[in-house]
Amino acid sequence: MSQDTSMQGSTPYTVEEVEHVSLDDPNVSITIQSDPYSMSFQIENEDHTLGNALRYIIMRNPEVEFCGYSIPHPSEAKMNIRIQTYGAQLCPCKVTAIEALKRGLVDLVDLCDIVMHKFKNEMGRFGKHEPVQED
Amino acid sequence: MDEMDFAGPDAIGPQVTIRQANDRHVDFVLSNCDLAFANSIRRIIIAEVPTVAIDLVEIETNSSVIPDEFLSHRLGLIPLDSSQVDDKLVYYRDCTCDAYCEQCSVTLTLYAKCTGETNVTIYARDLAVAEGAPCGTPVINDPDGHGSIICKLRKGQELKLRCIAKKGIAKEHAKWSPVSAVAFEYDPHNKLRHIDYWYEEDAASEWPRSSNADWEEPLAEGEPFNYDAVPSRFYIDVESVGQIPPQEILEQGIKYLQEKLAAIIQGLTGADANVDGFSGGARSPPGAHGANGNAGGRDDSWGDQGYTTPFQSGGRTTYDAWNGGTTPYGGGGGSSW
Repeated sequence: MSQDTSMQGSTPYTVEEVEHVSLDDPNVSITIQSDPYSMSFQIENEDHTLGNALRYIIMRNPEVEFCGYSIPHPSEAKMNIRIQTYGAQLCPCKVTAIEALKRGLVDLVDLCDIVMHKFKNEMGRFGKHEPVQED
Repeated sequence: MDEMDFAGPDAIGPQVTIRQANDRHVDFVLSNCDLAFANSIRRIIIAEVPTVAIDLVEIETNSSVIPDEFLSHRLGLIPLDSSQVDDKLVYYRDCTCDAYCEQCSVTLTLYAKCTGETNVTIYARDLAVAEGAPCGTPVINDPDGHGSIICKLRKGQELKLRCIAKKGIAKEHAKWSPVSAVAFEYDPHNKLRHIDYWYEEDAASEWPRSSNADWEEPLAEGEPFNYDAVPSRFYIDVESVGQIPPQEILEQGIKYLQEKLAAIIQGLTGADANVDGFSGGARSPPGAHGANGNAGGRDDSWGDQGYTTPFQSGGRTTYDAWNGGTTPYGGGGGSSW
């Protein structure tokens, strides 16, 4: 994809701004970026617990072309996540990698909310006809 | 295209069916959910739900046959009551004190001496929790009310020590794990062939049947292998040690997962605070749904909680693509970004 022509106008981040984003949080940084639509992030102190679920949910986003994660070394508490979106290729929405990451995080929080809600409901229902007791 | 068809079964969202629950374990089926998420829940329950455990032992006298470090290790493994510990203690590393204080620790003392002719056994119940401690009482589950055995003393042997219990997570040391086990199974008939069973002649007859096998249909006679199939039903049994009730463990686990996510969102949002109205910070589920009679029926009160999810059809959503409204390939371009 030719960078300059497809990114004009509605692109929320320029490359310089993207670098600025990473400075805010010592735990999240951008390690590789060729353009705003394909980036690698490094998240510190996270592992497969977050990585795999996040990878899955980002991949579910139809704007995302690729998402993968890895833990480069087991003794380093670092998790790398790579996101490539379709950008302006197929859709005028131009979702950037950062937006896809944020969307994934928010979606995962929502998924947690739903499971929590379902569990609490089910627990309430269960508690009614079968009181808590020993085996 | 029919919207429901496109949205597929995931539009229904994850479902939870509790099969058994008491004060020691909760056995449930999580369905319509992906493996990555189910595994995250399992992992976070095992390793990242905080509890209180003895972390520092100041030994004044130990004339028992057990060496100091052995005794300290045993003390560390004793389960201590840790329900709602997040509201009661802070992590000692975050605390402003020098070593430990009431904000970040609970002190337990043990003073025992054998004076009689017969040996005495020292149990977890003999640990005296400091008065007014918000948590940290040893967990006692046996009918005699003894708790775990710490050591035995012969005539004249004495034990005098102070234990400092701190809040921690099992990522650091397994003694902080709230669970003894989390059973996790999917696809009991191995239809997905994620397991390659070793066998002499016939795997089906030589391997024991899973107890979860009744909850799913086996592969029908002549049914071809579906290489597109993915696991979507998970049989999870959370087995508490006793520090935290099992339901609470699961709820806390989900909460901590959300907190992790919120921390990253916060970090990313620092420069650009306008992500779809998300303000950062974990959003806990609304307090309105407790043990009400929502009876597993889906989502009547859920749709109007004020935020939306990609997992629910019909609800108001700002992200149409998930619900089949638009795709990046088709027109529309209905993203709310």
